[in-house]
Amino acid sequence: MSLTQLGFWAILLAGAVRLATPITLAALGETLVERCGIVNLGVEGMMALGAFVGLWGASGHGWQMGLLIGAAAGGLLGLLMGFAILKAGVNQIVAGMAITLIGVGLADYLFQVWQPSGRSAVVVALVPILRLPLLDHLPVIGEALFAQSPLTYLAVAAVVATAWALRRTTPGLSLRAVGDDPEAAQLRGINAVSVRMATLVVGGALAGLGGATMTVGYLGSFTDDVTSGRGYVAIAVVIIGRWSPIGAMLGALLFALFESLALLAQSQSAQLPVEFYSSLPYAITLLALVLTARTQSSPRALGRPLET
Amino acid sequence: MRQVTRAQGETAWLVVALFLLAATIVFLIVFAGADPWRAAKGLLDSAFGDRYALAETVVQAVPIAIVALGVAPALRAGIFPIGSEGQLAIGAVTATAAVFALRGVPAAIALPAGCVAGILGGAAWALAPAVLRARLNVNEILSTLLMNYLAANLVSWLVRTVLGAAEAVATPRSDRLPVEAIIPKIVDGTRLHAGALAVIVGAGALAYWINSTRGLGYDVFATHRTLAARMGVREDTAIISTMVVSGAAAGLAGWIQVAGLQGILYPSVAGGLGFTGVLVALLGGLRPLGIVAAAFVMAVLTTGSNGLQTDTGVPASIAVVVQGLVLLGAALVFAARQRKMRAAVAEVAAQAVEETP
Repeated sequence: MSLTQLGFWAILLAGAVRLATPITLAALGETLVERCGIVNLGVEGMMALGAFVGLWGASGHGWQMGLLIGAAAGGLLGLLMGFAILKAGVNQIVAGMAITLIGVGLADYLFQVWQPSGRSAVVVALVPILRLPLLDHLPVIGEALFAQSPLTYLAVAAVVATAWALRRTTPGLSLRAVGDDPEAAQLRGINAVSVRMATLVVGGALAGLGGATMTVGYLGSFTDDVTSGRGYVAIAVVIIGRWSPIGAMLGALLFALFESLALLAQSQSAQLPVEFYSSLPYAITLLALVLTARTQSSPRALGRPLET
Repeated sequence: MRQVTRAQGETAWLVVALFLLAATIVFLIVFAGADPWRAAKGLLDSAFGDRYALAETVVQAVPIAIVALGVAPALRAGIFPIGSEGQLAIGAVTATAAVFALRGVPAAIALPAGCVAGILGGAAWALAPAVLRARLNVNEILSTLLMNYLAANLVSWLVRTVLGAAEAVATPRSDRLPVEAIIPKIVDGTRLHAGALAVIVGAGALAYWINSTRGLGYDVFATHRTLAARMGVREDTAIISTMVVSGAAAGLAGWIQVAGLQGILYPSVAGGLGFTGVLVALLGGLRPLGIVAAAFVMAVLTTGSNGLQTDTGVPASIAVVVQGLVLLGAALVFAARQRKMRAAVAEVAAQAVEETP
């Protein structure tokens, strides 16, 4: 199949949208978390734990339960992180690194306890594909936009809703106030600790859901390092997207486009080494990070602990 | 009266942290269907059981300590490079390539060549994110993390192709290094090699750096940029030099992992050592003795948990969970101590204000 064939582009784009969904969900959570002033380096661990717990739940009780408890697991890690940085005053970066180790470690540990023989072929019913009639037959973009998992539609809706809510609603305004000037927000009667705690739980739940979206959404299995850095990519696309939910979604799509290309190239006996293609999504993300670095407008209190 | 409660606060955090840590570990082991008491004994036996086991633990601690000692100056200056994992792998590759390029030379050349090539490789891999941070303000945490994935792919490609073994092998690996390039063992009957001496040199260097005027300036740089500038610390120099040093140390550890152990380069050469190194630097309080001690503890955890998996079937990844919990616990105690210090300073200041007529 060559670049000039429409079929190639249809498969590439459909794959990109599918692969962008978990990163979009995690990046949406991280956008909220950063907009209220916290850098959460724990996203990777939250995604990993969500990926395992989601698969485990789905194998016993169906994909709905899998997604639900995957999100819950991420939310719990968010709560732990919130407790560490907001109640105990731990450095955000260090707390995030610890959460990632705990999440990734727990996911691997529990998976091996569950499947001691290292069988990774656990059969679970995946989230069914939702085809929108007629639209899914559109050339090139039909499969990409109108024959996806309901999670993809949900993610897009959540991104648009969040972008609106951040601008137009009182909770959105409070969240941004805490991220820009927490002391002034406190003076106006906003409880900065509560806002940050709640946002971390939501951000963790979205990261956990993102992880579960990988295993329950399209992989159907769990392997060590299944997230392979997607949590960090989610943080990177928040910066690339300049802290806007829609920007983060576009950043996630960029990574996923090249990931989809890598998968296609591997299945088509490509000219260049397979490692070249697997590097591409990370290299492009790094490049985008470099190109957008000069025009950054981060939340003003990002990374700064609250004065208590 | 209030000071008493604060002092109790710190101890209370320590007790809470230790209790939660122990409870979680016991729970995880029981969850895996093993006896926690036997598991603890198995872990300690695999780490300290006999002379060989102890030497293996030290051998495991060496690269972790070197990475940690190297990344400490950057962390002290408030810069967070988390790319040691990739830098270590690249250092291992450049060292291996240099040794093979100089095939046939005596040990007096092969050893320094491998060492220098490893250091240069790691430093070069760190230079890109360092310059990007210094000149374009690209977040160093994310750039170094992303470059880890690039390094892993690059190393895996090189080991599969140009550096690959001559004979057909099931898992990609390099040929065995010539015997002249292997770091000599220092204790008979064990794998403890002369690379361990690098830890002593590194610890000495870090101790010297911390106590030097320049080192102090870099410490100030972490929290007070303008004050540090007045002390003669240039922002670009601080960022680039500390990040390159951290890469050089990781590259050195890469050479040691290839030339000190089996003499074979595997794509998995880093195997989490880089991440653990950054963690150990933080756990060790960014000071040389603390780092060496923390590296040893983490090595006990790693070798012990590998033994644990063989003996009792408890998955070795319990070590990663424990690493995370220990880091979180240590950070909790550290934060409590800092709060106490700040409160003490505030109290002294308040008294001074009251006493002023």
